Amino acid sequence: MSKKKLATVWLGGCSGCHMSLLDIDERILEVAQLADIVKCPIVDGKEFPEVDIALVEGAITSDEHLKEILHIRKQSKILISLGDCAIMTNVTGMRNYFNLKDVIETSYVGSVSNDDAGEVPNHWALLKLNDKVYPLQEIVEVDYFIPGCPPSADAIFYVLSELLNDRIPDLSEAKKMKHG
Amino acid sequence: MSMTKLTLQIDGRSIETESGRTILEVCKENDITILTMCHLKGITDVGACRLCLVEIEGVSKLMSACTTKVADKMIIRTSTEKIKRYQRITTELFAAERNHVCSVCIANGHCELQKLAYDVKMDHIRYPYLFPQCEVDTSHPLYVLDHNRCIVCTRCVRVCAEVEGAYNWDVMNRGTNVRIISDFNTPWGESITCSDCGKCVEACPTGALWPKAVVQGQLNKAPEFISDLIEKRKMKL
Repeated sequence: MSKKKLATVWLGGCSGCHMSLLDIDERILEVAQLADIVKCPIVDGKEFPEVDIALVEGAITSDEHLKEILHIRKQSKILISLGDCAIMTNVTGMRNYFNLKDVIETSYVGSVSNDDAGEVPNHWALLKLNDKVYPLQEIVEVDYFIPGCPPSADAIFYVLSELLNDRIPDLSEAKKMKHG
Repeated sequence: MSMTKLTLQIDGRSIETESGRTILEVCKENDITILTMCHLKGITDVGACRLCLVEIEGVSKLMSACTTKVADKMIIRTSTEKIKRYQRITTELFAAERNHVCSVCIANGHCELQKLAYDVKMDHIRYPYLFPQCEVDTSHPLYVLDHNRCIVCTRCVRVCAEVEGAYNWDVMNRGTNVRIISDFNTPWGESITCSDCGKCVEACPTGALWPKAVVQGQLNKAPEFISDLIEKRKMKL
């Protein structure tokens, strides 16, 4: 049996879900026996390749994330929303209650931690924030969801090991699933 | 009121009970699990949350178990696929309507809505989030009202009126604009009716009402305290 291709992606999130993924500890060797991790935030910046499983952390907050997730969906047989930001926007979506301009002004200009008058960064290489933050399932079709902030390492390993062994994971039991 | 004995069937089980009781009461006595959110033992049931829906043979609509009285020879089903589907939809709509951010919520880990999400196996929400701009009323010296987390179960309204007798809380507007209000929609801290008793805070199933003395994730409410209090107040010494 040929090895499966696995990718992990970090969109609008804090990387906490990836930390939790690393918390599977030595069980990563079992994953490595069944899959090659062909793309993740610590490999170099090649274009997202065709994969069997993509674990996507974070919400869609910007033009760049939108382009990325549409590309990832095309390239992935199975797309998994990893964590509360990807599933319900979580903390990244807390700016959705306000107007984007007000959020940026408050963060960069009016922030109490500013020594002087701050200014809004405006470099061509920076991503452009969308007016609203979206969970993945509002943009693309998502195959599996692992909620949690972060999801537990056990839940992540369980889903990976089921899928890598061609079984369908069932996270519905409370002991595996958590919100927040 | 005279009680008449009656026999009914719930999930295939034959059960003997008395008239005048709700389906929910009879189910609880017989260890039949019914999901609830707006129900709090001892205060008036209003059938607001629609989680306790049951199927009754011969009735085309689903009925709320907390407000429907039992009748002789009733045939009731409590956990059909249809009911489970509706319960999941209801839970998702609770989550989509306001801003329930478990990870930063004071009630994280001690929240009835969060527990409900596990009970109905909700791993994501299929509806677009509304992300309403909700106020947080911190004007009261002891407690906070956070509309972001409110599911409008009205347990606070009923406990304030029926147990404390203060009538501080009420409900304003309709649909997604519905809000719990203090007095005539004035800051809670300026209330002339609130007795600061905190029963509403204990009754609240989510992180919508909480004491200022508690830090994030440490909130642990005891709504059953309200039910015990109601029982104790019935005692004649």
